[in-house]
Amino acid sequence: MAEDTNQLRVRLVTPERTLIECDASAVELPSKSGYMEVLYGHAPLVAELGAGDVTIHGGPDGLDAITRYNVSWGFVEVLPGRVTILASDALKPEEIDVQRAEQQLDRGQKMWKEAGESEEAYDEALRVISEAEAKMASAAEAVKPH
Amino acid sequence: MANVLDLRRRIRSVKNTRQITKAMKMVSAAKLRRAQERALAARPYARMIVSVLESLRRRVDLYDETTGNLCHPLFLTRPEKRVLLIVVSGDKGFAGAFNANILKTAYQFIAGNPDKEIDIEAVGRKGRDQLRRRYPTAAYTEQADENGKLRQVRSPRQGPVELTGDHPGLLVKLEAPRVEDLAHNIIARYVHEEIDAAYIVYNEFKSVIAQRLVVERLLPLIELGSPQITGAVEKTAEEKERLAEAALSAGIELEPADTTEAEEEAKKFGTANVDYIYEQPAGELFRGLLPQYIFSVLFHAMTESVAAEHAARMTAMDSATNNASDMIDALTLHMNRVRQAAITKEIIEIVSGAAAL
Repeated sequence: MAEDTNQLRVRLVTPERTLIECDASAVELPSKSGYMEVLYGHAPLVAELGAGDVTIHGGPDGLDAITRYNVSWGFVEVLPGRVTILASDALKPEEIDVQRAEQQLDRGQKMWKEAGESEEAYDEALRVISEAEAKMASAAEAVKPH
Repeated sequence: MANVLDLRRRIRSVKNTRQITKAMKMVSAAKLRRAQERALAARPYARMIVSVLESLRRRVDLYDETTGNLCHPLFLTRPEKRVLLIVVSGDKGFAGAFNANILKTAYQFIAGNPDKEIDIEAVGRKGRDQLRRRYPTAAYTEQADENGKLRQVRSPRQGPVELTGDHPGLLVKLEAPRVEDLAHNIIARYVHEEIDAAYIVYNEFKSVIAQRLVVERLLPLIELGSPQITGAVEKTAEEKERLAEAALSAGIELEPADTTEAEEEAKKFGTANVDYIYEQPAGELFRGLLPQYIFSVLFHAMTESVAAEHAARMTAMDSATNNASDMIDALTLHMNRVRQAAITKEIIEIVSGAAAL
């Protein structure tokens, strides 16, 4: 039983398909208000995810291995023994197109400059920028693993 | 009477046609199988979005306690005066009555709401071509606002029904980001009160034999989860039989793999009987979730429609192949008769010639 191993059941679901379903020892989540790490026995929680990396520790490849996915928007439900992540899209760091992310960053900065007084436009620009930055950071980390 | 040579030529041409339709049927069957898999794989996400929204709605008051405002504009209902209709048709022909039926349902919807202004958003090339011929396209002009920024302003309507946009090629390679853009566009129009309601017409695909045409309400959100179907056309028993026959001969299972277990799992998402800690306030959660819900309904409709289109094409091509076989049989019979008649005639000539001697 889970009590012995303290393993979490992790599922990552995208609109197209269920990307991953495995046991893990811990999951790091990019919540809107900052990163958080979830271990076995966490209190039930529902949170919105922002742009960033979902990191699964001790996933399918062994206890010390980590699996990372870049997510731009998502939703997570945490139960003591289970974590379910709904992500609008999830990319492995090596799948990220850095050039496109750079273009996106430029586009975001342009939007930011042109936003004028509209709060909505600022939010939208901020979202685009943070998505692009998260993608680039994630891709850069894939090159030199920690 | 046609001679043997002509008939032989016709038989050859019909045989060629049969080969083409047979190949098209097999191609559609392969595509259908893939589309079916995709539709199935996409279900958990849609299901989970719905369950978390449902549970959130149960636990959280829709109205802000202090201000009394609705926590999200999409919950707002207005009298329906301007309606957006999303028509999901196919990109290609040769699919029997698939596109015609979708358009018929759309026209019925329009005819049933004569006093409303209807905007049409066409997804799929076939439907777009037809609708464009029938209704005027909305015109936009660029105007500068007080800050000197250019803004798209819609010109006065040319009629009660107008085409506001089309999305060619969206279905060819169904990808989430483009559908998401469409969802955001629809939400923006609703929030800015350009439309008071949104409906979607598409072909629902549960399995090869369980299909129907539906008109579903997308906005306003009155009840979450259960599809808000306002009109549906079921297939007749005869059509179902034909579908099943075509599917069997192409080696497709009638009932897709059992996914009830996964579905049940997905239904539990966010609904466990415990007090959740909500990381963000309800309004914010709704702001994030509702667009995603609209997106997932749209995405779901499109994946189903693509699968239904392939199923329709497969059936149509199966019928065409059968018809070609019948035709070949009839022509062969005819040809043999003609040949026999010619031989008989020759013998009679010889015999009567000999008798005259």
